Amino acid sequence: MPLLKTNNVTMQFGGLTAVNDFNLELNDGEIIALIGPNGAGKTTAFNVITGVYKPTKGNIRFNEQDITGLRPDQITNKGIARTFQNIRLFKDLSVLDNVLIANHLNVKSNFLEASFKLPRYNKEERIMREKSLALLEKVGLVDLRNEKSSSLPYGKQRRLEIARALATNPKILLLDEPAAGMNPKETEDLTLFIKQIRDEFNLTIFMIEHHMQVVMGISDRIYVFDYGVTIAQGTPHEIQNNPKVIEAYLGVSEDA
Amino acid sequence: MTFDMLLQHMLNGVSLGSLYALIAIGYTMVYGILRLINFAHGEIFMMSTYFAFFGIATFKMPWYVVFVLAILLTGALGMTAERVAYRPLRDAPKISILISAIGVSYFIQNLSIVLFSGRPKAFPQIELFTGMLKMGNIYVQRLTFIIPVVTAVLLAALIYLISHTKNGIAMRAVAKDHETAKLMGIDVNKTIALTFGIGSMLAAVGGIMWGLKFPQIAPAMGIMPGLKCFIAAVLGGIGSISGAVIGGFVLGLGEIMLVASLPDLTGYRDAFAFVLLILILLFKPTGIMGEKISEKV
Amino acid sequence: MKNKKNLYTLISIVLVFLFLVYANKNFDSYQIRIMNLCAIYVILGLSMNLINGFTGLFSLGHAGFMAIGAYTTAILTMPLAVKESNFFLAPMAAPLNSIVWPFVPALLLGGLLSAAAAFVIGAPALRLKGDYLAIATLGFGEIIRILITNAQRVTNGALGLKGIPDTTNIWWTFGIAALTIVFMTLLINSSYGRAFKAIREDEIAAENMGISLFKHKMLAFIIGAFFAGIGGGLLGSLLGTVDPKPFNFMMTFNILFIIVLGGMGSITGTVISAFIVTISMEALRVLDSSINLGFMVIPGITGMRMVIYSLLLIVVIIYFRRGLMGTSEFSWDKAFEFFKRLPLSKGGAKNAVTKNK
Repeated sequence: MPLLKTNNVTMQFGGLTAVNDFNLELNDGEIIALIGPNGAGKTTAFNVITGVYKPTKGNIRFNEQDITGLRPDQITNKGIARTFQNIRLFKDLSVLDNVLIANHLNVKSNFLEASFKLPRYNKEERIMREKSLALLEKVGLVDLRNEKSSSLPYGKQRRLEIARALATNPKILLLDEPAAGMNPKETEDLTLFIKQIRDEFNLTIFMIEHHMQVVMGISDRIYVFDYGVTIAQGTPHEIQNNPKVIEAYLGVSEDA
Repeated sequence: MTFDMLLQHMLNGVSLGSLYALIAIGYTMVYGILRLINFAHGEIFMMSTYFAFFGIATFKMPWYVVFVLAILLTGALGMTAERVAYRPLRDAPKISILISAIGVSYFIQNLSIVLFSGRPKAFPQIELFTGMLKMGNIYVQRLTFIIPVVTAVLLAALIYLISHTKNGIAMRAVAKDHETAKLMGIDVNKTIALTFGIGSMLAAVGGIMWGLKFPQIAPAMGIMPGLKCFIAAVLGGIGSISGAVIGGFVLGLGEIMLVASLPDLTGYRDAFAFVLLILILLFKPTGIMGEKISEKV
Repeated sequence: MKNKKNLYTLISIVLVFLFLVYANKNFDSYQIRIMNLCAIYVILGLSMNLINGFTGLFSLGHAGFMAIGAYTTAILTMPLAVKESNFFLAPMAAPLNSIVWPFVPALLLGGLLSAAAAFVIGAPALRLKGDYLAIATLGFGEIIRILITNAQRVTNGALGLKGIPDTTNIWWTFGIAALTIVFMTLLINSSYGRAFKAIREDEIAAENMGISLFKHKMLAFIIGAFFAGIGGGLLGSLLGTVDPKPFNFMMTFNILFIIVLGGMGSITGTVISAFIVTISMEALRVLDSSINLGFMVIPGITGMRMVIYSLLLIVVIIYFRRGLMGTSEFSWDKAFEFFKRLPLSKGGAKNAVTKNK
């Protein structure tokens, strides 16, 4: 059984079909990429999986459970975390607070225990601090933990978003254009980093990415979107040689 | 309830509804273009009645001159409020501009207490409007018919303006997207100012007729109609002009009918609007005519 | 260093305590009343700041919550004879006409009922966002006021209640204000406080980080309403009379002004600003009433005070959007830093030079 499976997921906004009959299968430990031209409906697919939108049609199964129509926080609690294309950090808060907040879903103490610092909460707070610092260490931001998150340079903000998503203990991590705006060196580092966290945290990774270097380098399989329709899927090699994909990206030439 | 009474209440409801509609249009236009609840709209409405009052009672000018002047002054007041208190906050968090709007509302209200005293004043009665007509067994004020007619004419003019004139098209463009409208060469600030001007002038027409219908004016008189007309705008679907009109009628008729059929609830008359608001927000937050606005993720 | 800071804190607390002892003995009743008002506005400001400043919910129903607290405390603590003389239009409903509670349980119940009302209101209203929430909570506040006005046999309607026992004194108001400050500080710095701030910063991100928006918004709303109820109860007991009129939008506006001036999202700011606003509000009362200078009388202008207030609110929001403190809080380190930077202090200049090198 795949870890995550979407069955004919369709998302319509008024007359526009942003995602059409999407059938995704993510197996445990895979790195899967979703590519396609701008406006192809990739981020909408993410939003449907993470519960930001309820699909117009179809269902989503995670760990053999139907998660269609759950709220984003419920889906995160089940073990699917994400980052955002247009970085959504808690801007006014510190780097450490950003990661600590993502631990809140595991807090068992109620607000009174937390306010009055009763033993159960103190233990939870200590554990989440240790875990958050370890994560910041991993993404190389531990020295900046007290900085305001909005003061970080772009590339570091992206890393912080990943650390924050990891803090929710996900089984699946959804990355929305993790390499956007990065230089070649950073992109290379990121590629290694994605592999590294996959192995270390036993993750399954599903990412939207435009950098073909990243996509072809680490993906086990690739899905290609065009106008919401899955026009191709397969290994990087298969995708590179698929005429439909070439057509979607380059357009049809008259004499072809 | 006899047929005559029913007719009487219906007529009252329609004319109250028309007034609500006129004021609600101002809310809906401003909300459509700025995504702002113009808390000061009720106070702008109130000021129009004072402008008319002083023109007639103090300066002894003919009523038709006064009405035109009062409408223009009120339009200018609305544009000034926008220029001074909202424009500097165009890029600020929404909560800031909302607080500023509350500030403007209280500023105008208290300034008018200072200038005109808090004691209510008697609005001049003009026979042409307030005279009685006999209809079968009931007597009806001429206003009861004048108000809906004026509302209908203004509404038609407004719809023409918005759909067929250059300024109207600019308004719709700015409402959709400020940045893009700017790139298309539209003067966004001017368009927003114009929206405030038109909304305020419509409120002024509503205010003057309100003064004729309920001939007692006071600085606090704008609060309740202000809130209710915002509710009417939400009810109809905020951003939609026809929605605001429908909302105004539903609220006006509903309120009158509620009190008429269940006199025990008279004390709760003002609560009716709020209950309606909460129901509509729960079951159809986009209102009767509204479109869904969702945040981009 | 940490011990030193704790010592400073302890000294400050003792100083405030000594000041209160002094004030209680030497201030006249009018001055003490203003002191009490300051403390009550600290409680009210903090309760609204939790909802509006920390959690980012624009709620305008505060006056309604205060009214519930004020009426509960008043009704429960009034002696039977006073109840009878108040309710001359219609007798008070049983069993309220035969029970008298001590102050503290009545105050607590006021807070709890207010919290319960917040739960009922929040269930539908907190699904709304931004200005829709603002107008819905404003509506609920008005509905509460209308219900109170019409519940003749419970609240005595528009006539209000007179002769509420004046249990409140400086120790009650400042004691409860201190407890509120301590509780809010602890709450805000806990994991729940971080969740509230996350919702304020970015709802969509917060929800995708596993934070249930509804649960946490409701929590902030209920806790805020609880303290608003307590504040309302204290206010009623301080004034000795309650009626539905003052619990209108104006009341909410005053508290909103306090938190905007202090900084939305700062406990320190709210505390400072509650004192500034309350005291200056009283000081500006001269504008409304006539001043007799012996040789001439300057006539007061009713409403002038509020004109200035609303003008100030607009100025603050346009030019000093972050208020006094923004989202920062007081700390000894910052206080030392501040004093060092004052040009008059010699150490400051020296320090600045060495720092620049």
